[in-house]
Amino acid sequence: MDPLSKPNSKTLKRVIPPRAFLITPSPLLQSSSTAFKTHLRSLCYNRNQSLRIVSEIRTSKDEKKNKPIPKKIILSEGAPSLSEDVNGNKEIRANSIGNPVFRYFKKVPRKILSVLSNLPLAIGEMFTIAALMALGTAIDQGEAPEYYFKKYPEDNPVLGIFTWRWVLGLGFDHMFSSPVFLGMLVLLAASLMACTYTTQIPLVKVARRWAFLHSPEAIRKQEFTDYLPRAAVQDLGVILMGAGYEVFLKGPSLYAFKGLAGRFAPIGVHLAMLLIMAGGTLSATGSFRGSVTVPQGLNFVMGDVLGPSGFLSNPTKAFNTEVHVNKFYMDYYDSGEISQFHTDLSLFDLDGKEVMRKTISVNDPLRYEGITIYQTDWSISALQVLKDNEGPFNLAVAPLKLNGDKKLFGTFLPVGDSDSSNVKGISMLARDLQSIILYDQEGKFAGVRRPNSKLPIDINGTKIEIVDAIGSSGLDLKTDPGVPIVYAGFGALMLTTCISYLSHSQIWALQDGTTVVVGGKTNRAKIEFPEEMNRLLDQMGGKFALFQVNSLLSLLNQSHLSTQMLRRAKICNTMV
Amino acid sequence: MIFSTLEHILTHISFSIVSIVITIYLMTLLVHEIVGLYHSSEKGMIATFFCITGLLVTRWVYSGHFPLSDLYESLMFLSWGFSIIHMVPKIRNHKNHLSAITAPSAIFTQGFATSGLLTEMHQSTILVPALQSQWLMMHVSMMVLSYAALLCGSLLSVALLVITFRKSIDIFGKSNHLLIWPFSFDEIQYVNERSSVLLNTSFFSFRNYHRYQLIQQLDRWSYRVISLGFIFLTIGILSGAVWANEAWGSYWNWDPKETWAFITWTIFAIYLHMKTNPNFQGANSAIVASMGFLIIWICYFGVNLLGIGLHSYGSFTLTSN
Repeated sequence: MDPLSKPNSKTLKRVIPPRAFLITPSPLLQSSSTAFKTHLRSLCYNRNQSLRIVSEIRTSKDEKKNKPIPKKIILSEGAPSLSEDVNGNKEIRANSIGNPVFRYFKKVPRKILSVLSNLPLAIGEMFTIAALMALGTAIDQGEAPEYYFKKYPEDNPVLGIFTWRWVLGLGFDHMFSSPVFLGMLVLLAASLMACTYTTQIPLVKVARRWAFLHSPEAIRKQEFTDYLPRAAVQDLGVILMGAGYEVFLKGPSLYAFKGLAGRFAPIGVHLAMLLIMAGGTLSATGSFRGSVTVPQGLNFVMGDVLGPSGFLSNPTKAFNTEVHVNKFYMDYYDSGEISQFHTDLSLFDLDGKEVMRKTISVNDPLRYEGITIYQTDWSISALQVLKDNEGPFNLAVAPLKLNGDKKLFGTFLPVGDSDSSNVKGISMLARDLQSIILYDQEGKFAGVRRPNSKLPIDINGTKIEIVDAIGSSGLDLKTDPGVPIVYAGFGALMLTTCISYLSHSQIWALQDGTTVVVGGKTNRAKIEFPEEMNRLLDQMGGKFALFQVNSLLSLLNQSHLSTQMLRRAKICNTMV
Repeated sequence: MIFSTLEHILTHISFSIVSIVITIYLMTLLVHEIVGLYHSSEKGMIATFFCITGLLVTRWVYSGHFPLSDLYESLMFLSWGFSIIHMVPKIRNHKNHLSAITAPSAIFTQGFATSGLLTEMHQSTILVPALQSQWLMMHVSMMVLSYAALLCGSLLSVALLVITFRKSIDIFGKSNHLLIWPFSFDEIQYVNERSSVLLNTSFFSFRNYHRYQLIQQLDRWSYRVISLGFIFLTIGILSGAVWANEAWGSYWNWDPKETWAFITWTIFAIYLHMKTNPNFQGANSAIVASMGFLIIWICYFGVNLLGIGLHSYGSFTLTSN
């Protein structure tokens, strides 16, 4: 019972603003502050619905305590704090006396802020971005201008107006880096910041301050209300604590809340979005990338492959590292299809010392001093063959058809007189490193051989043995200084989005004689909250106030929500 | 062989159970609440849930990887998601209108998955190298769960719109701020006491009390379910981005599927923002959610139908030869 009965006088004091300003404002103050007040309201555009400032003078009604706290101003949640309002008025008055130029400059950013934090504007921005992205997937990206001339001709425009002039003029052929799209993103980021600053942070100040309600009327104005006859407010406090509420009790008044984090989390969501955007910008301006196809056994220097992507790209010492492809090999399923491919890589520094060795595969990249090497692709670079036990010869292999994952490689071994104009020879085709299909001089199928099988094949008198198929590894290299920031943003966004699901529930109660008046509200879980409340109040051994029930029984007979109350009413009736 | 037979049996059982459940719902809709029937339909949904779970587990054991590698499997998973969304509020003993949405959704997705259009996809396939990662489980399951939740939520909004549509939306919009409060006794009394100006509106609202309450319930459920789906979608997209950074070397590629997932995210973000502002509540936000419904389908099917971009694994062709 200790935390219950502990009076929290500190917070209570904060609740009481300097009311003299509010109740009897001086005419001067009033005139100069009216404009500012409306301005402030437009700033808080999307919460002015709850700008209900209920101020009551309760000298006579407060029969229980004759303390000299007769006046109390109750802030409904979501409203800007009154004390701030008053301070703001003072500021404006001071400014109006002072330099008008200074005042002008001070007003302009405020105006911009209030425009940016406007919710309809933000919604419009999001809609525009969504539409642009959809357009970006509908228009083929990154083609040559001729393609667009053909696809969106001027004499036959799409939808009557849409021609290639639009596509090329607005940069829609590279939508996701076009000035229009990036401009919208910047605008959205500005809106995010403005909204966080002008709307959300003041909301925290208000939500942190909590207040007891001292009149049954105020409690009855809440979304959920109930009466508990012959009950003690202390018992209610115990039950609410059991249900995970933070409970504050002072005299006959009770205040309880839970899920306050759910009210703050949207700020976190906005900040995480900004973090991701910042990280994305850094990625776009400060990274290096490049891709290379290296046959097994060869090497390359990282810096030769990596190309800068923006003005912030700075090469590091690690760019001198030499990469050697020791081995490239593939795994296969029983059905013969490729399941995975691997490359065994060694890194050597300038002195020729091996600094790292790793076998990479798709989904398992190598990371070295900020540079990441990904396995992305493969091909066949050469076939080693023995011709009539001579050799081995290395035959260069060329890709024949690259259609998605279905690859085909081929090579040609001339047979007989290579000086004649009509060279004939043996063709060899391969889909992967597993098996080579051979065709004779006439183009007829001759047979299939596996590399390393040591099994020669005789094609019209020429003995061919395939010693090995040498693959080459397709590697992507990248440095991206934005990744840690983006990942931090991702983590924060996931966490805060989850927390945002929590609903901030507040409950007020007041001991009114032997009856306890209970009122509560919540910002998200409007379905669950009344049910939870009913369950908790049932624990009080709730007997329902008859005078409320009978008058309204007939009215609510068919209503769904009131079944709970009807049930209680029936219990009461039987008891009476 | 035994696995495919088992799979076949489970599919058919769950399909027929959901059909029966829908019939029962229709009956209870026409002939008011037959309690026994209602309970049996609940049991039916639970049975369906276990059937689909069994189906997915069978496929998992049989193929050796998480059963979300192609469209058929993801459709079955979507169906499973619907049955979960159906069951969770029941466990917490909420009486709601969700079941009217979830059961038909489950049957439609199953019907589509098992229909002749996709017969060649029923065989479980191998995983291409890029899909061989632990992230598959996290990313795809989250995405499909979010589709299930968002589809349910937006369907509730569509239902809200259909109900609101007959009366002019204007009236609803105007009386909205009055009616959005839950109708407890005191509230009504309070409204009565309030002022004579409001009397006309409140009289009107009492006549349509049941309808408004239904709309309000739909609105709130829709909001809750969409919020949940939004969390899943966020986690799904972000885990996908992390995975892409591991596999493709970039966390965002503006690939069509990614882009459409982001469009979906944006649309539902707009919905959630509209919910914070009373000027947009009610029909307006419901319209946005209904747009979201279409966009999820584009994201889920449209992109795969074209088979473009990096997410072409689940692509299929609608040629019936």
